[in-house]
Amino acid sequence: MSNSIKSILMLAFISTVFVSCSDSNEDSNNDDAINEALYQEVLTNLSVSVITETYNSMNNNAIALKEAVANLTIGDETALQTVKEAWQATRKPWENSEGFLYGPVDTEGIDPAIDSWPVDVNAINGILNSGDPITESLLESNNEARGFHTIEYFVWGIEGDKAASELTERELEYLVAATENLQSKTAQLYNGWIATGGNFANNFVNAGESGSIYTSQKGALQEIVEGLSIIADEVGNGKIEEPLNGNNGGAKPEAEESRFSNNSKLDFSNNMRSILNVYVGDYNGINGKGISEIVATVDSSLDQEIQGAITTAIYAIDAIPGTFTEAIYDNRDAVGLAQEKVLELQSLLDSQLLPLIGNL
Amino acid sequence: MRKANRLLVGTLLMGMVVSCQKDDQEGYESVNPLTERTTAGGETTVYLTSSNSFSTPAANLSASQIADHFDADLEFGAVFVSAPAEVNGGVGPVFNNTSCISCHPKDGRSAFPSNINSLSGFFLRASLPGTDALGGPVAVPGFGKQLQNQAIYGYEPEVQFSVEFTNQVETLADGTEVILKKPSYNVVDTYIPFPSEANLSPRLAPPVFGLGLLEVIPEYYILQYEDVNDADGDGISGKANYVYNHVTESMTLGRFGWKANTASIIEQCAGAYLEDMGITTPLFPQETGHDQSNGNDGFGDDPEVSYDVLEQVAFYCKTLGVPAARNLDQEHIQNGARIFEELQCASCHVPKMISEEADINVLANQEFYPYTDMLLHDMGPGLADNRSDFLADGQEWKTRPLWGIGLTQVVNGHTHFLHDGRAKNVTEAILWHGGEAEAAKNGFKNLSASERQDLLDFVNSL
Repeated sequence: MSNSIKSILMLAFISTVFVSCSDSNEDSNNDDAINEALYQEVLTNLSVSVITETYNSMNNNAIALKEAVANLTIGDETALQTVKEAWQATRKPWENSEGFLYGPVDTEGIDPAIDSWPVDVNAINGILNSGDPITESLLESNNEARGFHTIEYFVWGIEGDKAASELTERELEYLVAATENLQSKTAQLYNGWIATGGNFANNFVNAGESGSIYTSQKGALQEIVEGLSIIADEVGNGKIEEPLNGNNGGAKPEAEESRFSNNSKLDFSNNMRSILNVYVGDYNGINGKGISEIVATVDSSLDQEIQGAITTAIYAIDAIPGTFTEAIYDNRDAVGLAQEKVLELQSLLDSQLLPLIGNL
Repeated sequence: MRKANRLLVGTLLMGMVVSCQKDDQEGYESVNPLTERTTAGGETTVYLTSSNSFSTPAANLSASQIADHFDADLEFGAVFVSAPAEVNGGVGPVFNNTSCISCHPKDGRSAFPSNINSLSGFFLRASLPGTDALGGPVAVPGFGKQLQNQAIYGYEPEVQFSVEFTNQVETLADGTEVILKKPSYNVVDTYIPFPSEANLSPRLAPPVFGLGLLEVIPEYYILQYEDVNDADGDGISGKANYVYNHVTESMTLGRFGWKANTASIIEQCAGAYLEDMGITTPLFPQETGHDQSNGNDGFGDDPEVSYDVLEQVAFYCKTLGVPAARNLDQEHIQNGARIFEELQCASCHVPKMISEEADINVLANQEFYPYTDMLLHDMGPGLADNRSDFLADGQEWKTRPLWGIGLTQVVNGHTHFLHDGRAKNVTEAILWHGGEAEAAKNGFKNLSASERQDLLDFVNSL
């Protein structure tokens, strides 16, 4: 990890920052008005149509997961497969949301409630082996025994090969409670952003106005691009680095987050798509304005470069052969290359995008 | 997975951005000038106004120090589970929360929890009347000095917390009424009977940036503000706490904690591992409840975290950057700063501190603006916890730093201030001041609405 970070930082230190102090003449006033309109369009699209809609997808898919679990019975392999697919379908928008981990997901403690890792196997077994009814409220006090990874643990098993015939009544009871609890959190998160709920999106739509926590549009845009850098760093220096090199430079499989389900490669590429969605302003068929449109007004070649770097990182992750668990042993070069591409993206965001937005 | 917040570069580059503000300010005399205080953390200052304002490495770290900082960030974010476990085993058996970051979200301030027994950054300290052999609080037998309201599966928490509020109305000179909610805490569902004579004191987790600078303020520099017997007759004393230092094994100046009862950051971290999470370290190798029926997991795996990791977490806290103050060139903010001094807020919230030598080179020889004198003050009966802690009596609290306070909303989504978050905004926090700060508070109450707003704008510019 050290070397990669050093190189990134050195880039940062030597980057030149251009400062422009424009005078107040008519031209720049016009420019300011045009920019302000563009920024508001971008901020509105990203907060309402990308971020809030990502949470909407997650909540809808969590409802489907809950329903799939309600239909699961011991020995029904088809129903278990449906549950697995529903888990992955819910996981995808969550990973797509990790480029914007600000707002209710953080301030309302939703991230640890739904995505705490590692799972507490002793706590889970204790609850299973007790005679107590397993309810949503029982799980409410234990982050490490609920959420995505607890559900994953029951559905796939520690070895990733669980069959429906191996399920127990108590596990089904636990799964019902855990998926209900997960969906209550996804609903809370979606509600935190919509206009008829907590309306966190308003902070972006009306950035710089009273009632927004951001004192300027630039400040709101900075929050957004910082979020992109943070998830690129997290994937490159955390989610890939720890399993790849966490054992004194060797593989550390127990540090892999979505190991039971073998979903890690999808986790990583969906995190990259989170960056892409925000950068280009598109989600779920809606093509709106994103950070890209702002960058293009200043430096169109940089805009192309950033889009290319995001795509390259996704390709490199997708190109890792087999499962991630196998690859950290058998295809370390391919994993290393994917990590390199993610870190190159992060470096580009840090050295070029963040300063560009900071100097708007 | 809980995301470690490891934003790299915004900070370094934004620091180079030159303000385009025209230099034509007139009217109020600037303080010092005030704009010098923009670099709140000296050369560690970071220029962010986002939710990452508290969680960005100091701007002046070397490349290798930044790498170390980010490695340590993983430890600060690590979630512990019950032992035995493949990863991060050892939480509890009794605890308050399961990771550093969960009580210091985004390296910032916990909100007062809506359910006081949910996982949160809140807990109660406890002690029997008197002092122990080291001059500190007396542990409550069977409970210790911190009460854990969580336990791993199969174990019983020491207590559950309870709180009730009574309203207290403060009326400002212009007729504005502010309702303060005074909390009263108790313990219920205790695993063994809880002694009725024990004192309770609430705590809510504060931000962790800037601690490295506070640790290296020269002792003489702090002591110059000490005035234990109010020899200058200004109604404001200022008293240093001297506490048992578990690293040096001697009595030294207390700098951290709400009553300045901890000498160093590494000790604060080891204490948090042990008491907040039930994680043992070489500094505190025995489980907090080792002699309790609910407190020993019997695995013999102590210490659960190595000294290296403990040092990493301390290094992480020491090397977080301090967010820059904002808009100090604006007239109304400068007026607010003037009122801040006139009302003697600045007598305790001393703006400027310095460092000289420091083990971490980037913290050495800095001028910075934490707005604290690092000393204890009598804050009156309203805030009193009536629980002494070394030299701090039951009405005394350490002056809190104000740097970063105006970014609390954007970082943490709330503005719950003071040791237990009872103040729901800066105005309420000021109105809770009493004792030595009674005159300052009354001065605030007598301000006109616009003066009051200027003062608040100034505080929120920090």
